[in-house]
Amino acid sequence: MISKNYFSNSIIRKTVSILPLVLFITILWNGCAKKLPDGKNISNNNYVLLNQDSTKVNFPHDYNGKILVATFIYTNCPDICPMTTHNMQLVQQQIKSEGIKGVQFAAISFDPQRDTPSILKEYASIRDIDLSNFNFLSGTKKNIASLIHEFDFLAIPGDTTTSGKNRIYFFTHTDKIFLIDQNGIIRNEYRGSHVNRDKLISDIKSLED
Amino acid sequence: MILLLSLFTIFNFHSQKAIVKNAWLRPAGKGMNSALYFDITNNSGKADTLFGVSSNTAKVIQIHESYMKNGMMGMREVKYVVVKPRSTFSFKEGGYHVMLILLKKTLKPGLKETFFLHIKHERDIKINAVVKKN
Repeated sequence: MISKNYFSNSIIRKTVSILPLVLFITILWNGCAKKLPDGKNISNNNYVLLNQDSTKVNFPHDYNGKILVATFIYTNCPDICPMTTHNMQLVQQQIKSEGIKGVQFAAISFDPQRDTPSILKEYASIRDIDLSNFNFLSGTKKNIASLIHEFDFLAIPGDTTTSGKNRIYFFTHTDKIFLIDQNGIIRNEYRGSHVNRDKLISDIKSLED
Repeated sequence: MILLLSLFTIFNFHSQKAIVKNAWLRPAGKGMNSALYFDITNNSGKADTLFGVSSNTAKVIQIHESYMKNGMMGMREVKYVVVKPRSTFSFKEGGYHVMLILLKKTLKPGLKETFFLHIKHERDIKINAVVKKN
């Protein structure tokens, strides 16, 4: 007759014996989950851009030492870019409510000929976006073309038609938000219009000093 | 009396076949583009077609569809959408929307604008859409 104590002791012994393995796997798992892979380093080149207040911004050098959440938009986009912008705004609000410091946001226009600083300011203002750590940036056509190329971002003008005297234009474009670390390295990319905001915030936290 | 009753019945029938709910607009500045979203329910037993929208809000108004191809987002005009019998068709973010091109005024959050939906088997439906914050 095997006693109940035998079973209890056996279970305890087995549990104790696999405990180090469980601990090792847990530590390994957490380590892997928190570590975001290194992507492209975008700090090798610098681009002089203007923000919504016509203030010069050296991109990305002015963001050195900060975590940067960046995207590319055009303000005449009625559907996708506003969704991306709103997602960034919601992340910004969540970050602020959690007291996380050192995070900057940037939406760079890939339609610089039309998106002047004043247009960008109106785009931000009408959405009540907190501009304390959020820049809406534009630049020369050449600068912007180089910059979006650096991010492997595509923005192709298309479907430009006219309706009466009215010229109608759209872009077909990549739909991405980029997470860039304090050293100018892209650490993750997300679908801008449908980003999992919790995942993005979790990734931001993993980059905190 | 019978004539009046018939007219009332016809009017009532027409006014209840299609119902539009949750109409809203994106904020945007004068001269820019915006989008109108809503849910349209076809309560009749046969399919119907929304083939146009008009308003004084924008110079050009088109029905559009956002689509994803090879990881890129694009938009294209669609001439109409079919609303199946006893079903709801949603104009929603990232999908079908009514594109308001070259706005005649700035659409600030809270503002309400009037639109007329042109439907094949219906009278025009007048809707009011409110401008949201995003």
